Amino acid sequence: MIQKKVCMVGVFGVGKTSLVQQYVHSRFTAKYHSTVGVKIDRRDVDVDGDAVTLVLWDIAGKDADEDIPPSYVRGSHGVIFVVDMTRRETWNELPALRALITGTAGEVPMVVALNKADIPEQWKMRPDEETALNATWDVVRTSAKTGEGVEELFLRVARGVLGKPGATP
Amino acid sequence: MNADAPAHADAFGVSHVGMLRKENEDHFVVATLRKTLTLKHTNVGTSRLLNAASVPEALLLLVADGVGGNEGGGEASSDAVTAIVEYLALAAGCFNNLDVDHEHEFMTKLEVGVRLAHQRIAAVASQGESAPATTLTMALLLSPRAYIVHVGDSRAMFLRNGRLRVLTRDQTLGEELMDAGALTPEQAARSRFRDQLTSALGGSEMTPSIGLVDLIPNDVLLLCSDGLTKHVSDDRIASILGQAANAEQLSLQLVVEALAGGGTDNVSVVVARILA
Repeated sequence: MIQKKVCMVGVFGVGKTSLVQQYVHSRFTAKYHSTVGVKIDRRDVDVDGDAVTLVLWDIAGKDADEDIPPSYVRGSHGVIFVVDMTRRETWNELPALRALITGTAGEVPMVVALNKADIPEQWKMRPDEETALNATWDVVRTSAKTGEGVEELFLRVARGVLGKPGATP
Repeated sequence: MNADAPAHADAFGVSHVGMLRKENEDHFVVATLRKTLTLKHTNVGTSRLLNAASVPEALLLLVADGVGGNEGGGEASSDAVTAIVEYLALAAGCFNNLDVDHEHEFMTKLEVGVRLAHQRIAAVASQGESAPATTLTMALLLSPRAYIVHVGDSRAMFLRNGRLRVLTRDQTLGEELMDAGALTPEQAARSRFRDQLTSALGGSEMTPSIGLVDLIPNDVLLLCSDGLTKHVSDDRIASILGQAANAEQLSLQLVVEALAGGGTDNVSVVVARILA
């Protein structure tokens, strides 16, 4: 089966690991564990009759001490940027993260997950900011906790890496 | 036990039965994997030929902790180590020309090796009444990248700039109960569920966790059985690994600390210091 490398990228604590856990293992744990290095998971997906294995690289989040090593994203076929709607700094980092990806892996399909959709009372993202993001990115609201948008998120990136209609440009 | 380690790492491993147990059910390996070409005679410029024929070498580090209380735990960990070493010896060329397009294939091979070891142990279990099982934590260092495959509650961690980072998560019931919010870390540490594995080679569940990390000079990679972490805190491990000493000295000191702390279990450590 075709294998495609998809990197999960974002600031620490946005829910990258939780999204992968929900997608691959259908489970959610509230306890936070920071990822060290890269965790690898896989899931087979059928996209309009074409089977593909998404190899998910859950990369340790960018923090004040360390940037994301470009060597981790080299060879990516697609990227999911994860944003925490309750923390402004997480979407402010998007341009820098995109520059890292395009500079290392080229113009690969990219999808943005607006995570923690289940707690709107804590959102710091204003409606006009979400609209602006939608204008420039392929965006999916997700909740790793409830599962909202999770299948759609990974299906979109799978479509992208296979060059299917409806995929991100 | 020292290894003919690649020039990019100083590696050493040691195992001790502990202060209370009668048998050591832990096993470890430090090994170099390479496909070699030895020149006998040639009239081609040797530097040109060596460049053309140069092959990468990898450092295999592995710790397996036979499940205490299960008859055959020691044999299980020994079988696991043997099966993986045999498999990787046959597949030693799989890391040649390793690039981003072949990396997933390579990681799949590592996982296959672990599954074969699991099947070998499970086959032994099916022949008798005992249920031998073992943990397994393996690192294959292909500089600068360390590929980690992990099952059970042995651990892989590394020290960088004085900060210890744990690469693996214990696959135990205690850890799952903590995740579910049913136990605090303090409660889990005292709980009988702390040592109850939810995944083991030879066990009814075997779910390898795969990961990787790019190491840099002066990083110190540690694999260990829980005989170390039961008695030596992460802070103390960090302090020891941060010393200006070679891998052999660091390994021995870690074991001494575990024994001084009680030595209630077998203790095994494998240390690799990344050289400049």
